[in-house]
Amino acid sequence: MEDIASQIVKRAVALGCQDAVADVVRNRSYQIRFARNEPVISNRWREATASVFLVVDKRVLASDIKDLSKVDETVERLVKIAKRSQENPDYAGIARGPFTYPRIRPDPRILALEDGSDHVAAAVNGALEMGATETAGSFWKYEEEHALETSNGAHGTDRRASLYLSIRALVSPEASGHGIAAATRLSRFEAGKAGRKAGRVAALVKSPKAGTAGTYDVVFDPLIFGSLTDQVAGRLSAWAVLAGLSPFGKKVGKRVASDAVTIHEDGSADSIARRRFDDEGVPTRRKPLVQKGILKTYLHNTTTAKRFGTRTTGNAGLVTPTHHAVFVKPGDWSKDEVFQEVRDGLWLTNTWYTRYQSYVTGDLSTIPRDGIFRIRKGEVVEAWKDVRVTDNLIRLMKNVVALSDRTEQMMWWGEVSVPNFVPYALIKGVRITRSAE
Amino acid sequence: MLDTDLVDFAVDHARTKGATYAEARYEHQDQESFILKNGVLDALYVSEDRGIGVRVLVKGALGFAATNLLTKPEVRATVDAALKAARTSKRKTPITFAQEQAYVRNWSVPEGKRLASVPTEARIEEIRDVDRAVMALGYKIPARYFFLGSSRIEKDFANSDGSRIRSYSPRLRFFYYLTVVHGSSVEQTHRNYGWSGGWEGIASWDLTNRVLEEAQSMQRSLVEGKKSPEGKMDLVVGPQVSGIAAHESCGHPTEADRVLGREASQAGKSFITPDMIGVKIGSDLVNVVDDPTLEHAIAHYLYDDEGVKARRRYLYKGGLVNEFLHNRETAAAMGTRSNGASRAVNYNVEAIVRMANTFVEPRDHALEELLEDVRYGVYMKSFMEWNIDDKRFNAKYAGREAYLIENGELKHPVRNTVIELTTPAFWSAVDAVGKDLDFEGGYCGKSDPGQALDASLGGPSMRLRNVYLR
Repeated sequence: MEDIASQIVKRAVALGCQDAVADVVRNRSYQIRFARNEPVISNRWREATASVFLVVDKRVLASDIKDLSKVDETVERLVKIAKRSQENPDYAGIARGPFTYPRIRPDPRILALEDGSDHVAAAVNGALEMGATETAGSFWKYEEEHALETSNGAHGTDRRASLYLSIRALVSPEASGHGIAAATRLSRFEAGKAGRKAGRVAALVKSPKAGTAGTYDVVFDPLIFGSLTDQVAGRLSAWAVLAGLSPFGKKVGKRVASDAVTIHEDGSADSIARRRFDDEGVPTRRKPLVQKGILKTYLHNTTTAKRFGTRTTGNAGLVTPTHHAVFVKPGDWSKDEVFQEVRDGLWLTNTWYTRYQSYVTGDLSTIPRDGIFRIRKGEVVEAWKDVRVTDNLIRLMKNVVALSDRTEQMMWWGEVSVPNFVPYALIKGVRITRSAE
Repeated sequence: MLDTDLVDFAVDHARTKGATYAEARYEHQDQESFILKNGVLDALYVSEDRGIGVRVLVKGALGFAATNLLTKPEVRATVDAALKAARTSKRKTPITFAQEQAYVRNWSVPEGKRLASVPTEARIEEIRDVDRAVMALGYKIPARYFFLGSSRIEKDFANSDGSRIRSYSPRLRFFYYLTVVHGSSVEQTHRNYGWSGGWEGIASWDLTNRVLEEAQSMQRSLVEGKKSPEGKMDLVVGPQVSGIAAHESCGHPTEADRVLGREASQAGKSFITPDMIGVKIGSDLVNVVDDPTLEHAIAHYLYDDEGVKARRRYLYKGGLVNEFLHNRETAAAMGTRSNGASRAVNYNVEAIVRMANTFVEPRDHALEELLEDVRYGVYMKSFMEWNIDDKRFNAKYAGREAYLIENGELKHPVRNTVIELTTPAFWSAVDAVGKDLDFEGGYCGKSDPGQALDASLGGPSMRLRNVYLR
């Protein structure tokens, strides 16, 4: 793999490229999807690809080479195409290496795992024990090897392996809950716990009634709070800011959340998205995005960093900077204290379809799914259905008043696009709407 | 060995090793795309992607494996991996497939001007022209983002029932975001167009005029727009709104895999249950169709990714639930036949039940006729924000371009009109359907790993009586 990465970069430079990056990836991931309490299909991948970034006279081209037996001729073809493109006057190069990277060893027990059926069974049984009658979800063993080479001297390899499970449990068609398990160590992978969480929430949903529109104090479960923090980190990509797809334009140094909120982005920390380097070969590192409510930085690659007069944050994608993993600093409230703080409000456990009326203003709505509960003084008094959060991303973050003292790793099907380590959060004055009949 | 011969080899090897059913799908996708952001071409993206996906049924369990390493030993290992996946699945209830006719066919989409013959420079210049025209309006447009992409998809499918189907499908897609500012107010839009065919598709879109009209309506909305009225009133929706409702509030809830719970954890379930064929959802005027055979629509195909012949499906007919979208697995589970709705986004994922080109069937009203009978209401021509719950019952569409209607006449623009209705409330309120059928392109998300698949969404203008707006 390293030879192929090197071959691509050398060939590109020989053909006139000023900058070249090749990330050769070997994918051996494995998945079990399950529904109605049993497997529906098992998927296995045996793929090798090279993600390539070439620059000729500021003409930028990105590609994925899938046929690694014809690397030289493919690079020649790509360089010819790049030369027919147009200059990107904003292009500012790639980071200058070499770099040193921390040693990361994937768990050999995960690498050796051939069959995830027991983990699926643990999750399903966990949910059924709590009263669920139906479950569905996915178990993943992610396994990738990367060999990265750049024309600016970065060179590294990275072997990544992790386990992930997502389970939805149902007691009836309108009574459901969701649980997540994620770990880079087999010993820390708690599929059964995820199943029990999903089942416990589902079992709490008894005869849900249509909710009432209004303004409520809301406890956000980690899964749905992770959806919000994922939105925050994703919209902090400098590329999104420049494209008008972010509410955080011109807000660095300004308040975007309450004092209670401190968020870091860190691809180097232990998570199922842990990686040694970004797509320019820059070592990933921890950096504050929001500190006590104040926006500290956008996420940058070398080009966007120059545009904003700063340095890369180690978040390069081939073209657009991106977040790898998000860490919310836990608060000093116990989970019970967070709930007890709510005199009369709601507890939301999951959401999907977060959509913006305006990315620039941050006006959005998102539609909760799974358990939706009316709570009084911390106690569930009834289950609701059919409501929607119709609010504003920055307003929601500014109204965070309490965070629990433990975080959980959440990631789920695009809604939480990368691992977000999040606590329970209490947000005051959340605007809730519902459909007319 | 030729790549396509590996397809036969994969099926034969799987059968030899004990699969009761086997299929192999080779795909070769050439893609070229770029984004012109604020007048700057960030990067050109070019890829040539190919590989084989193999799906097997062994003792009632499904296994799938994929590789892009196209050698005989690697394909053999991939088939073995699929067999292993099936054998270790520990499934108790056997999966069966509906019996379907086997076909040996070659089909392709007519390509007037071959996409491969259009130089990169010409593609970029086409979009630069749009960008220049928008900027010449003189509005304050702090962010503009135009995407143009083409893909050329060759498939070679074989299964152990004797089907062998080769196809070629060239496609074009254009989408954009615009941000227009006036004073302290901001208006954003997102539009998306798709085409199956050659470069002639770009002319059919009339992009410059469409984008200019959109920008002009945004500016007018900012300058003249007033608060949208709240309460129960009549609503006329444009084709873009009809299209998203057809897709979200009819197409998704009639996907049989969703109805059966196979997608429960991700894309969700459905408010429609297996026994609801014939149940009233909308007014008698509501026919919602999903039709992969529609020429030039971006999700056009003649045989699906299980080799089943495609056909038009009436999902809602006369306001009743009429038909589910099926693949062979869901059809068997419901005791019926597949209607050719099985698709995968690429070789490396399983084919599942998907919509293609979903639209409200047009009738005979002109837009003026829809409007003239409205004493007081809103004409919501297009939307920006939308979402719907996972059982597809509670939808929200927030207006982008909308106008007040008084005594049958369009008045000033109104901003951020919100339709937040249940699915039956929306479709039951339809009392007139227009003839101005139009389509937009979309990406339909489903499955795990996520498959963002080409789809088109369409419909004519429609009038809804006495619905709650805010």
